[in-house]
Amino acid sequence: MKEIDELLLPEDLGYTDDHEWAQKTGETFRVGVSDYAQDQLGDIVFVELPEVGDSFAKGDECGTLESVKAVSELYTPLSGEVVAVNEALTDNPELINEDPYGAWILEIKPSAPAEFDTLHKAAAYLEMLKG
Amino acid sequence: MKTTPLHAWHVGQNANMAEFGGYEMPLWYPAGAKAEHLAVINAAGLFDTTHMAVLTLQGAKVHDLLQACFSKDLDRCIGPQKGPLVTGRCVYGVFLDESGGVIDDAIVYKCENDDYMIVVNASMGGPIAAHLQKNNPFGDAARIVDWTDKVGKMDIQGPKATAILSRVLNDADQVFDKMVYFSFKGSFAPAELASTSVSLKDGTPLMVSRTGYTGEFGFELFIAPEHVERLWNELLTAGAEEGIIACGLAARDSLRAGAGLPLSHQDIGPWLFAENPWLFVLPLDESGSSLTKDCIGFSALQAAKNAEVTQAFAGFDPRKITLSDKAHVTSPDGEPIGTILTCTTDMAIDRIEGTIVSLATPVGAGRPESFTPRGLCCGFVRLKKKMDVGSEIILTDGKRKLKVEIRDDIRPDRTARKPMKTMLNA
Repeated sequence: MKEIDELLLPEDLGYTDDHEWAQKTGETFRVGVSDYAQDQLGDIVFVELPEVGDSFAKGDECGTLESVKAVSELYTPLSGEVVAVNEALTDNPELINEDPYGAWILEIKPSAPAEFDTLHKAAAYLEMLKG
Repeated sequence: MKTTPLHAWHVGQNANMAEFGGYEMPLWYPAGAKAEHLAVINAAGLFDTTHMAVLTLQGAKVHDLLQACFSKDLDRCIGPQKGPLVTGRCVYGVFLDESGGVIDDAIVYKCENDDYMIVVNASMGGPIAAHLQKNNPFGDAARIVDWTDKVGKMDIQGPKATAILSRVLNDADQVFDKMVYFSFKGSFAPAELASTSVSLKDGTPLMVSRTGYTGEFGFELFIAPEHVERLWNELLTAGAEEGIIACGLAARDSLRAGAGLPLSHQDIGPWLFAENPWLFVLPLDESGSSLTKDCIGFSALQAAKNAEVTQAFAGFDPRKITLSDKAHVTSPDGEPIGTILTCTTDMAIDRIEGTIVSLATPVGAGRPESFTPRGLCCGFVRLKKKMDVGSEIILTDGKRKLKVEIRDDIRPDRTARKPMKTMLNA
């Protein structure tokens, strides 16, 4: 298991209490799970993705990650409509373990883009993990 | 929390650690549980199992005490002819309480005529020793010693186990000669527990048992605690070329579930030991209807009516249901019919046109040349009524629903019982 100080936490992302991240990519945001989450879960063996066109409010369950350890829900960090899902994860769910920030899970067109500013910055997220 | 002699090694490797049976144990190492599971199918894996407990029983009446307490009939348990347990052989069975519930499962080893050894689960050394003592009318004619934390143990499992182990043993050919499934040689403490001599290259005595908890070919090794870390490192070095890796409890759990083996206190436990896949530990006679000896708990089993039924299942993809208070089993139309005991993912298998195929399945027997299994959810359920093999049931956590199939077996083409001579050059 990684030490807290070994975790990769890119500065430009926003993080949630549930260990999702959001990254601004033009008009949309990509969403995934943090290095901490993938490390805690262990090998991810299945990803249940939402449908393109689904709408969610911030904090809604929008998918599940199955690891060797447990099934965990994915909660959307932002309100909006799903405009893309990362189909590569269907056949290679382990991409999330290998590169949790490259392996985005879904892309959201936000209905309230300012919600991004309410997410934890990397430093604050790190503090939260340290307890 | 207790630790094993390898605790510092596990932590130094950045293993994901968790409590199990009172010990802080590795769940998986950085390679990940999937790589560890697959290593045991394809090459070899090494498991720290020092958390398991060892008892020794010595004296002229030990046989009688075990006959009264252990489910297997020691006079009729070896081979198709049901011969008696002889020196150098071991048997798997359970200790039942008066009401027919399982206190723990165990392997009983016969070391010499009046010398036996018992291996039980983590934290169960004390309770099983106490249970035996309570039922021991023989005094010093059946002396029970609890070796908890005084014996080191590790399991080397997988098709390359013999080749790797042979490099660290003296006279390996002799050790492996006629070493059938559920037999053993050597002793971890020759002064107290006699046996044939088996030693490491430097002369350190150990016991090599052709048993395991993965369904795959391999050995359980017993050695004094001070030698555990050295043997562990020697095996990892000796098998580096074949790809041996250290494996944690997650891989141990997914391998054993796919092999149809129960986890004590989860799949079997303090409820009636009836209508389950493991009734072979009861000494049924040829007719299959009566028992060849009496033993604590048997009268409760025979009096039982309408017992719940434990059955194996396998799913259609890797998804599983996490055990919780809300997790349960329903019929396809949603009627509650039981509880989930184990639900994990066997990562070496997948379905090819509905049939379960393993990485170990020969190409001629249904495995495609190019086969990258995604894994299948599998485990055990306890149901109100027995269902036919092939029936579909639904596992749910109250929210998600997962369709799975009742099975009589899960992972095909397991290697545990393969003849030694076919594995020497595997």
